[in-house]
Amino acid sequence: MAQTIDIASAPLLGVRRSRPPRPILRLSLTLLGVLPFFIFVLAFQFFPAFSIVTRTFARNSDGTFTLDNIISLNTPLIIGAYVTTTQISLITSILGGAIGFVLACAITIGGLPAWIKGGILSFSGVASNFAGVPLVFAFTSTLGRLGVLTDFLKTAGINLYPNFTLYGFWGLCIVYLYFQIPLMVLILVPAIDSLKKEWREASENLGGTRFHYWRYVALPILFPSIVGTVALLFGNAFGTQATAYALVGGGAGQNMVVTLLVTAQFSTDSLANPGLGNALAFGMIVVMAFTILIYTYCRRISMRWLAR
Amino acid sequence: MAHKHSISRRHFLQMSALTGVGLTAFAMNSRLAFAQTAAPNPLPAAPAPGPIDLKAAGGMDALIEAAKKEAALSTIALPDDWANYGQMKKEFLAKYTFLKHNDLNPDGSSGDEVEAIKANAGNKGPQNPDVIDVGFIWGQLAKGQSLLQPYKVATWDTIPDALKDKDGYYYGNYYGTMAFEVNTAAVKNVPQDWSDLLKPEYKGQIAISGDPTSASQAIHAVWASSIGNGSAVDDAMPGLEFFKKLAESGNLVPVVASPAGVAKGETPIALRWDYNALSNRDANKDTVEIAVVYPKSGSIAGVYLNGISAYAPRPYAARLWQEYVYSDAGQLTFLNGYAKPVRFDDLQKRAVIPAELAAKLPKADIKVAFPTVEQISKVLDAIKTGWPSIVGVKFNK
Amino acid sequence: MIHRQSLWSWLCLAFILLYFFVPLYATFQFSLQAKRGQLGFTAYQNIFSAPDFSNSFLFSFQTALLTIAISMVLIIPTAYWVNLKLTWLRPIVEFLTLIPFVIPAVIVAFGLIRAYNRTLLTDSGEGVYVLLVGAYVSLSFPYMYRAVDTGLQAINVRTLTEAAQSLGASWIAILVRVIFPNIFRAVLTGAFITFAIAMGEFTIASLLSQPAFGPYMAATAARKVYEPSALAIVSFGLTWLCIAGVQILTRRNRGGRVPTALIR
Repeated sequence: MAQTIDIASAPLLGVRRSRPPRPILRLSLTLLGVLPFFIFVLAFQFFPAFSIVTRTFARNSDGTFTLDNIISLNTPLIIGAYVTTTQISLITSILGGAIGFVLACAITIGGLPAWIKGGILSFSGVASNFAGVPLVFAFTSTLGRLGVLTDFLKTAGINLYPNFTLYGFWGLCIVYLYFQIPLMVLILVPAIDSLKKEWREASENLGGTRFHYWRYVALPILFPSIVGTVALLFGNAFGTQATAYALVGGGAGQNMVVTLLVTAQFSTDSLANPGLGNALAFGMIVVMAFTILIYTYCRRISMRWLAR
Repeated sequence: MAHKHSISRRHFLQMSALTGVGLTAFAMNSRLAFAQTAAPNPLPAAPAPGPIDLKAAGGMDALIEAAKKEAALSTIALPDDWANYGQMKKEFLAKYTFLKHNDLNPDGSSGDEVEAIKANAGNKGPQNPDVIDVGFIWGQLAKGQSLLQPYKVATWDTIPDALKDKDGYYYGNYYGTMAFEVNTAAVKNVPQDWSDLLKPEYKGQIAISGDPTSASQAIHAVWASSIGNGSAVDDAMPGLEFFKKLAESGNLVPVVASPAGVAKGETPIALRWDYNALSNRDANKDTVEIAVVYPKSGSIAGVYLNGISAYAPRPYAARLWQEYVYSDAGQLTFLNGYAKPVRFDDLQKRAVIPAELAAKLPKADIKVAFPTVEQISKVLDAIKTGWPSIVGVKFNK
Repeated sequence: MIHRQSLWSWLCLAFILLYFFVPLYATFQFSLQAKRGQLGFTAYQNIFSAPDFSNSFLFSFQTALLTIAISMVLIIPTAYWVNLKLTWLRPIVEFLTLIPFVIPAVIVAFGLIRAYNRTLLTDSGEGVYVLLVGAYVSLSFPYMYRAVDTGLQAINVRTLTEAAQSLGASWIAILVRVIFPNIFRAVLTGAFITFAIAMGEFTIASLLSQPAFGPYMAATAARKVYEPSALAIVSFGLTWLCIAGVQILTRRNRGGRVPTALIR
């Protein structure tokens, strides 16, 4: 850097005073930079979430503290919705996790050509975004009463309908898998990639077979990632609204999915109780927070071996 | 992670500043949140109601002038293919081009509409509906909760007394009969009666158009099945039992019956108002065959009401809308959509109905019940509370 | 051994891909069946010529652009300062940007409407629009922050800042003329994802009664038979374009992660 800079002729770029500011001023200058972000988060995330939580514990009539709203969640309809949603979320997260894991293994260490991995990853990125209304259209065109696949199976002699319906428990599961599996793939592929070749070689050097490698080295290392991601998938399924609404929403579907129950509180207040709506929302926040805790914890553990 | 045991003064100051902001925000949050909770339910006082009729408003021109200042109108839950509202809206807006139309929540239910008034009371924005079109049940409810303001249209006297509130808070605009809408390409044996619907061949094929705890059309589907099963007009239990059997057998799917759903064959049997079914039949006559069947054992008639919201931010535009809907042109537009306009007898007496329009109206020679207001509120409560516990839970698997 | 392993992999791949591609193919075929008896693009013509389509598409488009702009303005300075000086804030900021994953969209909308009811924000169409954009910006935080953070870590922020400062640049000048051009690709990655989210978002838009593209698609489903499938293909194509954009931008890093968006 042989160039010398002549202060006098330096271009004026909003020159500030050259004396270092006092600590208080520097404090406010740096904090000022991040203040808009914090104000925004406060206004658009904390305040709404906070008001839900506070109102859950506030009596409808006068605002005094009460647990009544939470207790009023104990109706067969609401409990049924929570149970069904939990079942759907468990099934799709575990099944999606398993299938996603298999797919992730197949494209990373399965001996497939490299372009397949890139292609699948891109497709997974798109598929995990292809949720909501368009996804439901896609599935009604496929497995609906007049869907392409339904017709095809009919010609092969298998009549899906009337015993099967897309607009029910298993229909929801099948549709949810469409974005669960890609999510698993996207998160697990980097983890599997981080399995060092040296570990495999070390295992073989010690006389271990493929089974030994998986049973004692690879799976234990990957286990936290898998569990954490399955937890994430659970939360993902539990919180989904667009897809559920497009499939069974607007009618009796709210008995099956908690998010639809909350949606109904918006317009109908069909359960005629604003405190209850808040309690429902609060219940969802609790479930989601729990799953994110599991995910974060597992991620921290997995970082021990798979630090990127 | 090595912990710093000595925090520099700067960091300390920064942290306390942030904590301070955080705590203030916390306190502010709680106070604000509790403040809003402390008076959660009492709605703000409604503004003074507008003029009670055209005379009080100073005539049509004065009404138009006032509406011009408001420059917008928010309607809610008026789908284009329901009772020919598409054409109604188009013609109204073509006549009064200075009005910007906010078409809120076209697929909303009557319950949604009443909730929207309550939820938006005090807001001046476009999402606050000015006029509502709700099932007969809801008019009384809304009036009781002080959510409506009265207005007597120019043609007030020609509206039958049984179909209007004497103070002018709400009045019927059209009615229809509950019928089966069947996609005959997908369903070979068209069901003719309520008992047919329970047959196993219709498994997974039947749908109602919404949630019977809030959608008038869905409530009436349950009610009609009650009548069809021979009950008294004010007894909804047989209907709830009937639907419980439908849900258990798997014949009823928890999907909202939509025009597209029937036309596509996804839900080939839908329980809808005859005017909706007939319009859908006409709209899709090039692609699919739809039959509209009036169940032999009987059905129910459902009247829909118009009303102006007490909290309407644009009360004069709302009055303009009401005047149009109840004019001859508006009422004939309903008739064009197969919905019997409430001034039908008056139109017929004055011979203003075109001949070909009269010819295409369907003939329904079954027992159709016309409930009274007392019967309506009794049944509404029964179905609203009964549905979730008797039928609703059946959809959980 | 490799041979057998890859055969098994191929089989797995084939089965799983069947699950993913058959619905897409079925949708496409269904969308071509608008005219009875023949395959054609009538459904596509219908949707592209419908005024509602262009209105809702433009609405979502401009909302998406606005969201990206605001998100950048909020995130870039924050990430910059966290990287440079306020490193102890990093876990807090990361946690805050992950909140949208904890609170599902339906709860966000519910909370916003209930919290801000009868305030300025619900008194006008513009006010509710502010709520919508605010919610979308929150949704974009995880991806924007991660993208910008990655970009900042790839360049030497400290050196660049000190160099610029020694030349007499103000903070704003540093951000706009020094930092931003260097993280431009990373920012663009975040922008593409945000765009995909905002265009396809349904929950918040419908609960706030906004005329966005998502609610428009849902409304079409109730009315039209073949057009929804065409819309699904269009939506899929749009998302694919966005992800392809991200892929092209991140091609430089091998094994670059494709960000995931959770519209659900």
